Amino acid sequence: MNHRGALAHRQAALLRLSTAIAAADDEKEIYQSVVDGLHDEALGYNFLGVFLLDPETGDRVLQASVGWPDAPANMRVHAGEGLSAQAIRDGQLHYTPDVTQATDYLASLASGSEVDVPLRFDGETIGVLVVESSVPQAFGEEDFEILEAAVNQTGIAIGRARLLAAERRRVNEHKALLDTMADLSSELELSRVLQAVIARAVTLLGVTGGEVAIYDEETDELVVLASENIGKDSIGTRLKPGEGAMGNVAQTLEPLIIPSYHEWRGRSEKYADVVVHSVMAAPLLIGQRLVGAIATVHSDPARVFGPEDLRLLNLFAPQAAVAIENARLYTSAQRQKQYFVALVRNSPVAIVTLNREKRIVELNPAFEELFGYSQEEAFGQDLDALIATEATRREAEQYTLDALDRPVHGIARRRRKDNTLVDVEILAVPVIVDGERVGLMGLYHDISELLRARRDAEAANSAKSQFLASMSHELRTPLNAIIGYSEMLQEEVEELGHVELQGDLEKIRTAGRHLLSLINDILDLSKVEAGKMDLHLETFEIGSMLDDVISTVRPLVAQNSNQLDVQRSGDMGAMRADLTKVRQMLLNLLSNACKFTQGGTITLAVVREGSEVVFNIRDTGIGMTPEQLGKVFEAFAQAEASTTSKYGGTGLGLAITKRFSRLMGGDVRVTSSPGEGSSFTIRLPAHVSAASVSSAATS
Amino acid sequence: MAKILLVEDNEMNRDMLSRRLQRKGYEVALAVDGRQGVEMGQSGEYDLILMDMSLPDMDGWEATRRLRATDGSGRIPIIALTAHAMAGDREKALEAGCDDYDTKPIELPRLLGKIEALVGGD
Repeated sequence: MNHRGALAHRQAALLRLSTAIAAADDEKEIYQSVVDGLHDEALGYNFLGVFLLDPETGDRVLQASVGWPDAPANMRVHAGEGLSAQAIRDGQLHYTPDVTQATDYLASLASGSEVDVPLRFDGETIGVLVVESSVPQAFGEEDFEILEAAVNQTGIAIGRARLLAAERRRVNEHKALLDTMADLSSELELSRVLQAVIARAVTLLGVTGGEVAIYDEETDELVVLASENIGKDSIGTRLKPGEGAMGNVAQTLEPLIIPSYHEWRGRSEKYADVVVHSVMAAPLLIGQRLVGAIATVHSDPARVFGPEDLRLLNLFAPQAAVAIENARLYTSAQRQKQYFVALVRNSPVAIVTLNREKRIVELNPAFEELFGYSQEEAFGQDLDALIATEATRREAEQYTLDALDRPVHGIARRRRKDNTLVDVEILAVPVIVDGERVGLMGLYHDISELLRARRDAEAANSAKSQFLASMSHELRTPLNAIIGYSEMLQEEVEELGHVELQGDLEKIRTAGRHLLSLINDILDLSKVEAGKMDLHLETFEIGSMLDDVISTVRPLVAQNSNQLDVQRSGDMGAMRADLTKVRQMLLNLLSNACKFTQGGTITLAVVREGSEVVFNIRDTGIGMTPEQLGKVFEAFAQAEASTTSKYGGTGLGLAITKRFSRLMGGDVRVTSSPGEGSSFTIRLPAHVSAASVSSAATS
Repeated sequence: MAKILLVEDNEMNRDMLSRRLQRKGYEVALAVDGRQGVEMGQSGEYDLILMDMSLPDMDGWEATRRLRATDGSGRIPIIALTAHAMAGDREKALEAGCDDYDTKPIELPRLLGKIEALVGGD
C-alpha cells in the first residue's frame, strides 16, 4: 500500500497521528487516536485494533478498533489463542502474509494478511496492535517501520497517561479525604458523616453501592448507619460477628473480597432481596480496636473486585475509621458538654460567664430570675455596668479583674433590672481551657434572706439583752427597798434592844444583797453581749488600784482562815484601762479563790511583761476537774447546783471576767486540778487602746 | 444639823432614805421629780442635795445642770445617786456639776461619810 500515497502525505499523516496521541488525556483516548490516525487515507490501513493484556487472566481485551463495526466492546481473546498471541509471547512484530494458511487465525472480517505489533510499556508487553488487510501480502518493510513507530509513541503516551491518572487519583483521593474531614467538622452527626464517607468511597472506587456500619460494643453487633445505593434501605440493620460480609471482616479483622456473593456461604439472609454480584468489605479499625466495617458492592456481574480496589479501600478504611472515631469522640464530647450545660441551666445559683473582654457570654435561668435580665438583653454587655450600683462599681470591677486571674469570694450588693438591690454572695473563678484563660465564671447566690434572718436574729438578741437590762433595772428598785428597809429595821431593833430579831433581818439583807449582785452581773453580761458595754479608759497607778482591791478582799480572805500572799514589785507604774472593770475582774477572781479555799493560801502576783500587765491569782483550794475546767468561763457554770448554795456567788463572775478581759484586748486563762487549787491569769495590755478594743470586739 | 433636799421619784426609796437620814439628825425635804428638785433647790434653803439620776419629767443630770446654771454666790453641794455602778455614770454626774456620787442601794455609813465631807464645815 505504501506505494499508493505520496511520501509527503504519509509524513503529514504520521505527524497528525503523533500530535493526536500526545494530546490524548487518558489511555482509552490514546488507543482510539492510534487506530484512527493509522486509518488515515494517506496511510491506508483499514482494519485496526488495540488489545490490552488482562494481568490476571492473560486475556487480550479490545480497547479501540476501527473498521470492525460489530466488534464487541471489551471483546476478549483468551490467552494463547489467535495470531496476536505470538507477539504477546515473544514481544516481537509478527507478519502473517496469508492468514488462510495460519492454523491459529481466528475468523475476522479481513481475511487477507495481518501484522501484530506488541505494545510495550516500562519494558513489559502490555498489549498488541493488530493490523489486518483483506488481501494477502499487503504489508512490507515500510509498513512495519510506520507501525513500530506508532506503537512506540503509544507506549510513551501510555506512560504519561498513567502517571497523570495516578496523579489525578491521588488528588481525588486526597480531595475525598479532605471532604470527609470537612464533613466531620461541619456535619456533626455521626450517621451523616458516615453517609458522606460511603458516598465518597462509592464514587472513588467506581462501585454500585456500599454501606458503613459501626460496631456497638454493648450488644456486640454491627449497626448499619449509612447506606449508599444498596437497593434497599439497610440503615439500622444489625449484624452479629460472622454474619454477612461485614460481620465476617468484623470477626477476622481482615479485608475480604467475595467474587460471587449469592454463592457465598457466609451471606446474610438480611440481604437476600438485594441484587449483588460481588462484595468487598473491610474492617474499620483504630489500632487493633474494631470501630465498624465498610462494604462496597458491584451489582454488575462483569465487574469483579481486584487488588487495585482493595488498595483503594485499604487506603480509605483507616480514614473512615478515624472519621467514625472522631465523630464518636465528638458526640461524646457533645454529650459531656450538654451535661455541663444542663448543670449550669438547672443550677439554682445564678451563673454568668464572661469572655476575656469581660463581656457577658452566657447566663443561666437562675441569673435571669435573680437580676431580671434575659440572655438576649445581657449578651455582650459589661456585667459590672449592668448589675453593680454606683457605689459598688469599683469594687465589682476589681472582682472581675481579680477573677480573670484567680478565684475570688465575697459578699456584695448588686442591682436588679428594676433597680431594686439584692445582697449576694459572689464566687468568681477564671475559666481556663487548654491552659488558656478564656474568661471567667461568676456565681451569685442571693443571701438577702440570710442577711434578713441574721438581722432578725441580731435584733432579737439585742431585744433580749435590752429586756434583761430593763428588767434588771425594774427588779432592782423593789430590791433596793427590801435591802434598805431590812437595814433600817436592823438599825431600829438595835436601838430598841430586840436582839432576837437581828438574825432574821440579817438573812433578809444577805439574800437581798446576793440577789442584787446576781442582777448586776446579768446586766453586765447582757450589756457585753448586746455590744452596749462601753469602756471608760483612764490612766491609773497599778499599785494604788491593787491596794484598794486588797483592802476590799481582806475580810473575805479571813473568812475561811486563808492567808493572802501578794507578790508585786515596788513601783508597778501606771496602766491605761477601764479601772472599774479591772477592779471587778480581780475581785471576782480573788473572792472565788477565797470561797473555794479553806485554811490555805491565796496568792496575788502582778508583773509587767513587755507591753502587758499580768495578774495571777492562785489558791490552794479544791481545784477543778478537766470537765469543770472546760466550761468554767461559761455563764452559770459553777460545777454543780449544790456548789452555789455551798459557796455562794452568782456563777457569772468568771464569764464576766472573761468578757471584760476580751473587751480590753486581753484574755484570762486557767489551770487547775482537783484538790490542788486553781490558777487564773489575766493578761491585759498596759495601754488599752480604742484600736485593741475594737479588734477584740470583732473577734 | 444640815438641811438636805432629797430628789427621788420612788416612794419607798424616798421614805426609807429620808427616815434613816432623819434618824441621824438631818432635816430632810422631798422633791419627787427633776423639775420640782430644781425649783426647791433654787430656794437656797438647803445645805445639800441628794439627786437621783433617773427621774421622770427631767432627769438628774439635766436638773443638776440647771441648778448649776443659776448658782449664785453659794454653790450648793449635790451628790448624785444612781441605780447601778454603771461605768461612765460617775463621770457623767461629775460633768453635769455634781460634787460626789454614790450608788443605790444605799450603804448608809458610806453615804453619811460623803455627806459629812461636803457639809461638815457647818
